[in-house]
Amino acid sequence: MTTRVETKIPDQLWQQAQNMVQQGRINNMDALIAEAIRRYVESHQQILSERFIQEDIEWGLHGED
Amino acid sequence: MEKTKAIVIADAGPIIHLDELNSLNLLTGFDKIIIPETVWHEVQHHRPQALHHAADLAFVRQSALDFSPQVDALTPIYTLHAGEQEALHLCVEFKNSLLITDDTAARLAAKSLGVAAHGTLGILVRAIREQTRSKSEVLELLCAIPTQTTLHIRASLLAEVIGKVEKNT
Repeated sequence: MTTRVETKIPDQLWQQAQNMVQQGRINNMDALIAEAIRRYVESHQQILSERFIQEDIEWGLHGED
Repeated sequence: MEKTKAIVIADAGPIIHLDELNSLNLLTGFDKIIIPETVWHEVQHHRPQALHHAADLAFVRQSALDFSPQVDALTPIYTLHAGEQEALHLCVEFKNSLLITDDTAARLAAKSLGVAAHGTLGILVRAIREQTRSKSEVLELLCAIPTQTTLHIRASLLAEVIGKVEKNT
């Protein structure tokens, strides 16, 4: 299952991404964007999980259910 | 103590981690605790003893009846596992739900869905606010996490958490 998204990307960044597709370094733009998002999510797992723990402590101490 | 209105939908992680700390009963302060069918199987596989007192703790074993297209759309993005998916479907089904999970991806998906989510540490610290455990008891549980549980938390972060709890309560 996939989701259609509409977004604005800086021209220069878009051009760089298109060059990578044209050079055959990745199949198409859909694959490139999905890969970029996946890498972003993965690289932020540790930071995010620690941020969530901080949120948990705030909620535990002072939050409401 | 008066129960809150939130319906807890539990993922496997917190059930296992709270049981490892002999603290599963901290979940009983909520209105209802639902263990999704898939999560039930996961817990049964990894830590069956956590379900031995499920009836005493009024855990409700339940399958999702409505399947949210939003959850389906988020599944490949966050690589959600079957248990997390079912938990999120149930969260969407019950409007006043609180997802209990230690999985970062599941929490991100919950955020996208506008579903409240907290983890094992939140439940432990909440016990002080709810006066179901004393501060020293909770500090003891927090200190036991590295040796008594399978929950991974960086040592310096845990020390920071302990310091915050000591200071703020």
